[in-house]
Amino acid sequence: MATETERLYVLPGDAIDEPLVPRHKKQPLRLGPGLRHIPPSAIVPTVAGQLVVEPRKNSMWMEYNGGRYVPAQNDLVIGQVQRSAAELYLVNLAAHTASATLPQLAFEGATKKTRPQLAQGALVYARVVLANRHMDAELECVSAATGKAEGLGPLTGGMAFDVSLGLARRLLMARSRDEGGVEVLELLGAEGLAFETAVGRNGRVWVGSDSPKTIVLVGRALRETDEGRLDVEQQRKLVKRLVREMR
Amino acid sequence: MATSSGTTSVAIPGQLLGPASKFQPGPGTHIHNANLYSSLLGVVHASQPAKPPGPAKRLTKITVPTQTPAELPTLSVSRTGVSEKREVLPEVGNTVLCRVTRITPRQAVVAILICGDTVLEAEWQGLIRVQDVRATEKDKVKIYESFRPGDIVRAEVISLGDQANFYLSTARNELGVILATSEAGNNMYPVNWKEYMDPETGLSELRKVAKPY
Repeated sequence: MATETERLYVLPGDAIDEPLVPRHKKQPLRLGPGLRHIPPSAIVPTVAGQLVVEPRKNSMWMEYNGGRYVPAQNDLVIGQVQRSAAELYLVNLAAHTASATLPQLAFEGATKKTRPQLAQGALVYARVVLANRHMDAELECVSAATGKAEGLGPLTGGMAFDVSLGLARRLLMARSRDEGGVEVLELLGAEGLAFETAVGRNGRVWVGSDSPKTIVLVGRALRETDEGRLDVEQQRKLVKRLVREMR
Repeated sequence: MATSSGTTSVAIPGQLLGPASKFQPGPGTHIHNANLYSSLLGVVHASQPAKPPGPAKRLTKITVPTQTPAELPTLSVSRTGVSEKREVLPEVGNTVLCRVTRITPRQAVVAILICGDTVLEAEWQGLIRVQDVRATEKDKVKIYESFRPGDIVRAEVISLGDQANFYLSTARNELGVILATSEAGNNMYPVNWKEYMDPETGLSELRKVAKPY
């Protein structure tokens, strides 16, 4: 976890001072997203954001917000089916980008005779299998190792909201309250609302519930957290205010 | 329209050159309705036919030579201003050098640059389908681990294909990527049949490597 002393905001191309780079006796230095190594020893940020250093794992990366979503392997994303072509669904991950391909057989229990019926505009929760800058991304809705869906697949009912990439990443963290500073979904659940969510790394959050009021409320809470850049205390107040307005 | 080798005449595509009963078709011509037409814009050449052997003379016997079909002169049309070497077109079985321009999960699109030993004037487009990349385990081939855009590939023409593409294959040991550039921009050296290594960063990338001669 980055401490206050290691919080440094940098611009692309800034030089990073030597003392900031962590040293470890045995492990090699690992660079995460947003940093580039120019041999022999220069480490250069490629995005504007906060430089985070983790001395225990000997890694450093950039936390940055906004921008276009670039598919990366093993990301969980929410896509919208644009159309179906031979044995494939063309799925849209972000506006004004090339479609990703989702094979029609990459669903749990799908064979050539029984295929999933996905209409145009349907939402799917999928994992990115292949992503590089030379080809369109490929998705799958089933875990290749086990053959089971494990939460992936079509998302029926509910509504998808757009959030910033930074909020989506913080929502997907394992310890989202401590490391990411978002607790709004847990707080809404603690207030007694019944809903389920799916968070896509491409900046989309799907909310499903029996009552449309709940869906709209959760969507509003997410949007206000995102736009207002609220911290945990402010999120608590926001949730209380919204629930009071609903009742 | 055939002339003796002293003077030359120019033909345009579709121009009637003569009846097929009088001339043999050569490069740059085609036969339609028993007539010879030119296929190219260029100069018409007529090659003299070989003289049929005269009656064999022996001291004791004069024999009539067996009926050989009369050799007809061969008409050919060649493009002006282009030396004959540059008119080479890739044929089935030729080994060509090409550059990968685009990759999709099912094929790699390449631009054919060199056919045999001659550098081609025009860049022909070729396709390497995913089942023609390797000879073994054809269904497990991943194009991203075999080629990348910008690689120079030695391939063999397996079909003249359709209007847009030749079809190529790299399914032999000595076919495949011969020149590759790494993500960092450096020239890479082959390590084994499926890896190229960048000497500066030490990272290796997967390709279908051609066996060096």
